[in-house]
Amino acid sequence: MNGQSTQDREDTVKHSALRKISLALVALVVAAAASAALAKPASHTDSAAVQKKVKVGLLLPCAINDHTWCQAAYSAAVRLQKEGAIDLKYTSNAPFDTAAVSQLMAQYAQRGYQLVIGHSAWQDAAFSAAGRFPKTAFAYAGGGKVANNVATYEEPIYQVAYLAGILAGGITKTGVVGGLAGQDIPLCHAELQAFIRGAKTVRSNVRGLSAYIGDWSDVAKAKEAALAQADSKADVFIACGDGPSQGMIQALKERKLSGFGYVGNQNSLAPKNMVGSLVYKLYPLFKLMVQDTAQGKFIPAKDYDVGLKSFQLVLNSKYSQAKVPAKVMAQMKSAQKRIATGELKVPYIAK
Amino acid sequence: MDWSAIFGVSLFAAGLRLAMPTALAAVGECFCERAGVLNLGLEGMMLAGAFASFVGADYADSAAVGVAAGIGAGVALGAVMAFLSVYLKTEQVINGIAVVIFAQGLTAFAYEKLYGQSGASPQITPLSNVRIPGLASIPWLGPVLFEQNVLFYVALALTLGVWVLLYRTRFGLSVRAVGEAPAAADAAAVHVDRVRWLALLVCGGMAGLGGAVLVVGQLSLFNVGITAGRGWVAIALVIFGRWNPLLVLGGALLFGLTDALQLRIQASSGGINASVPYELFQALPYLVTLAVMVAATVRSRRNAQPSALGVPFTKGVSQ
Repeated sequence: MNGQSTQDREDTVKHSALRKISLALVALVVAAAASAALAKPASHTDSAAVQKKVKVGLLLPCAINDHTWCQAAYSAAVRLQKEGAIDLKYTSNAPFDTAAVSQLMAQYAQRGYQLVIGHSAWQDAAFSAAGRFPKTAFAYAGGGKVANNVATYEEPIYQVAYLAGILAGGITKTGVVGGLAGQDIPLCHAELQAFIRGAKTVRSNVRGLSAYIGDWSDVAKAKEAALAQADSKADVFIACGDGPSQGMIQALKERKLSGFGYVGNQNSLAPKNMVGSLVYKLYPLFKLMVQDTAQGKFIPAKDYDVGLKSFQLVLNSKYSQAKVPAKVMAQMKSAQKRIATGELKVPYIAK
Repeated sequence: MDWSAIFGVSLFAAGLRLAMPTALAAVGECFCERAGVLNLGLEGMMLAGAFASFVGADYADSAAVGVAAGIGAGVALGAVMAFLSVYLKTEQVINGIAVVIFAQGLTAFAYEKLYGQSGASPQITPLSNVRIPGLASIPWLGPVLFEQNVLFYVALALTLGVWVLLYRTRFGLSVRAVGEAPAAADAAAVHVDRVRWLALLVCGGMAGLGGAVLVVGQLSLFNVGITAGRGWVAIALVIFGRWNPLLVLGGALLFGLTDALQLRIQASSGGINASVPYELFQALPYLVTLAVMVAATVRSRRNAQPSALGVPFTKGVSQ
């Protein structure tokens, strides 16, 4: 290769075309290798899989250590794997677009995975892959359409946001609460609305602010949005999305304000500032789907919903609980019970 | 609506914070485009810089090491880009996109491998703000300009330095000549490829520093995709700034300020039930930048783009 390139330099015109082609190829290989790394950064299979284990393929749109959305799903799946219920293979940092996701889902189905879970609002991708593999069980997150072999699992974050709102109503000194979301999608809208509604049950004149970042991973912009709301007097915050929650937490630390973590337990990220976290417990949902798949009951598919069993308000013991009046805490606990029994229905305001 | 909450001192401070990472990358891009190389790998260089600065600051427990690592990662990708675009003379658009995809894949992969299973949250010690005595007490201007963290001043000095380098030094003249008429520059004994190599290393270093400003200077954490398209915005800002580093810096500041402004308007405008769609506010920075660019282009009429932009130079071959 070295000798050749010396020759090239002497006879540039003749060889440059050849060199260009070979190097464009090198560039392509680099790009291909990189995208392969992007699509499948890590894969683990248990080689000694017992026959009865359900083969589960899990697609995650982010990193397994993001402290929120993907970590919640990954740890639930790992728990099932440790219990010996499933044989897990996952793809993290999967692309967002429908075509690529449906292709990844189809690949899992083709390799004999019985249950393919796409942990995002990947309804279209799941339907597209499910049409080609009618015997494989597919599931996607967040609720929506359900068909023969396509299930969805609910994310009742708005119910917990309502509980967080009650606490926020008791904590706020200014009477202004803040909310950040990546985009104004129904899930986030309902979460922010329920948060404000909860706060109003304690303090009827609470004003709710909201900002949409326009991006789910732009932590810096989310932080600035939270600071802007803090300048408008907001002192208790909630977030919807990975980047928005990380940015919110940075702003809370800087301004010494309070807030709630999103989907994962983010209390440790700012022990002094986090009142608690709205934690998505995917274990019961995944377990139901795995059991149904094992017993051949997945088809016809369902909308899996276990209510507050899948979403919990995990309080931060290091946060000064003195800031939450006992009466308000009791009110939250009572609301929690009434939501669990179905006595209290938190309205789902999607728009 | 509370207008005083929108147009306060904090608006300008926030605008500068939002602008600085993008400004650094944009001025770097401006430099290498003046040398005739289109570097579309900018987003990848920023991302690599952001990641390397995080790892450096975390492992060495020092912000300075982090910043150095960020610059180093940017320079390394600049070298990859130069190897492909200047030495091998392959298609620059493809090289750039390959660099971005490579950096995105590599950072996501390495972040998960390095910090994957640790229960503890990786966070680095943030850089504290420097309060310049005397100047910081100037009302209004003080809190905006003289209470930023040290990287802000470095970034500002660098962007001004690039202007001086381009327009007030012999090397800068070579850079501009190489971008406009490489054959003529070559005839005047300027080593075209060497200048382009250097320009790409500078550009990579500045983009890497831009990423480091984001991570070490502002957030003290890393997240996959943390640069969120700032590199692409920076490339657009070079066109906006008509390949003049000062105008490019101005464009970045305008973009950052409008972005800070729209976040503040969102915060003050009736919250979640606002009657004006939030998408309108989000589009504001892009609309303003586009409007200024159209106005500037119409007014000046002359094409400011370096003539040899994107064209590899081969000695002895007529272009």
